[in-house]
Amino acid sequence: MAGRSQFGLSALERRALLKGSLGAAAFAGMQSYASAAKIAEVTAPPPMPLPGRKVALVPLRVTPDQLIDVKCCIRPFRAAGPNLGTQMIGDTLVVHNYGHGGSGWSLSWGSADVALGKALSVLPKEIAVVGCGIVGLTTAVLAQQYGLKVTIYARDMIQRTRSFRASGSFTPSSRVALTEPAGPEFGDLWERMARFSWKAFRTCIGLPGNPVEFQDNYGLSDTPPQRRVREPNPAITDSYATRGIPFQETEFAHLDDRIKDIVPQSSLLPPEENPFNAAYASRTSHMYFNFASYGHMLLTEFFGRGGQFVMRDFHGPADYAKLKEKVVINCTGYAARDLWQDKTIIPVRGQTGWLVPQPDSHYAVRYKNVMLMSKADGVCVMNNNSIPEDLGDMFGVGNSMELPNPADIQAGLKLIAPVFAPPVGGA
Amino acid sequence: MARALSVIALAATAIAIGAASPAPITTRQGVFTEDQAAAGAQLYATRCAMCHGKMREGTYETPSLQDRFIANWSKAPVADLYDYLARAMPQFAPGSLKPAETAQIVAYLLKANGLPAGAKPLPEGGPTLARIMLEPKAPSLSAKAVPRTK
Repeated sequence: MAGRSQFGLSALERRALLKGSLGAAAFAGMQSYASAAKIAEVTAPPPMPLPGRKVALVPLRVTPDQLIDVKCCIRPFRAAGPNLGTQMIGDTLVVHNYGHGGSGWSLSWGSADVALGKALSVLPKEIAVVGCGIVGLTTAVLAQQYGLKVTIYARDMIQRTRSFRASGSFTPSSRVALTEPAGPEFGDLWERMARFSWKAFRTCIGLPGNPVEFQDNYGLSDTPPQRRVREPNPAITDSYATRGIPFQETEFAHLDDRIKDIVPQSSLLPPEENPFNAAYASRTSHMYFNFASYGHMLLTEFFGRGGQFVMRDFHGPADYAKLKEKVVINCTGYAARDLWQDKTIIPVRGQTGWLVPQPDSHYAVRYKNVMLMSKADGVCVMNNNSIPEDLGDMFGVGNSMELPNPADIQAGLKLIAPVFAPPVGGA
Repeated sequence: MARALSVIALAATAIAIGAASPAPITTRQGVFTEDQAAAGAQLYATRCAMCHGKMREGTYETPSLQDRFIANWSKAPVADLYDYLARAMPQFAPGSLKPAETAQIVAYLLKANGLPAGAKPLPEGGPTLARIMLEPKAPSLSAKAVPRTK
């Protein structure tokens, strides 16, 4: 076998292949060998820019046949923000850590730090964590890093929790609280949790499998983009105060400006740098999470540090006092609404479609309220359009229907498809 | 929880029996004055807050001076914390705090973490300080942390 590589190619053949002189058939044959992706990187010609443009990106394939999954989940939204309160159940100290709305992933480390601070006030050596979504598992790992022995009690591992049905990007103030009920002090707490989390996520960048990554995120429009201004609608007289549920977007806490010194902001691109078939493009970079490797990373650390996982269900607060650990962190997310009868949790439905992974198109793009985000496990599709009007943060509020509706995703794909097509007439 | 507290109580009893000298004092018994804590708050704002945060919240890199901080310094004499601050803080000018200032900052940190003030000032080092054990405040608990509204 002298002169032949591990893939069975001679040095000559490889050189020829890299020069592109073996033709399409030989290349197709190569696909069955191990490093197909690497070779594609070398041989795939860069895409041509659209007419009048200097830059090009590999277009995302958004045809209906690419859809491989539709996931739906309910954000556990609380008007007052996440519950981080403490209480006794019998002889057991329960520290709550649930109700993060659309910000569970993003605030997971900071919120875990706050909850663990409270748990540590009684100097435990071991604790229990109930729930194994992103908040529970992160809390468990951070507790281990703080020197505690930890057992997770949960019905499912993270892969089967609502956390894995999120979109998985850094959106720390997405439906996290309402301004009034959360009160003036919530902003400081939120900022502390967001900054702590951001730093923690940064430590994961570059790890095998890329559990946390950045990518460019394009906002496209047919008219000049305008900063969204939220004004209360005086015609709407009901509010959370009167009805226990928000009635308009202006009731929500929008806190992102507090951390704009670390989070990249968006800027408008000159026309020649807009790679898409849309009149206007702005670009930012965003941090996002690859579910598979992120979950694997946390579970590996948890078990590597001697963590125990016990599969079980809980039927009411009294069950918590039956655990052998006398300090328990309750990370049950939306499930707390029934388990703890916390009716202040307002369901906010969200849905994502998933296209076949397209690693050569490593970017996110938004157009007409449809968002595509190319991740390791697929291209995430969100269609946030609603009829008759754009609801913004109100989209999905009060909706606890957790069955997916693929037609919405297909409609979204149809809406965004034109941005990847050459302009009609080729002009 | 009751178990956790009874462990603490047992440990305290064991120390008391072993020592055969005055019973140990803990930070729950009012070991500093309000004046000390107030002066400590001023010092904190100028010497400590730039790293540990206005509300002692810390960052991912700088320790917070709440919760976990108290847990980490618990079950040990307050003198340990006092000596550490005197030796090592502020990090940009270690050893620059006068003994009275160190005691004031310790008093402030105890108060900020929910421990009560008392009549006697916190000693500026010495054997009395070595006998005061750092014990966290009793956790403030509600019977119901979960609101039940319709």
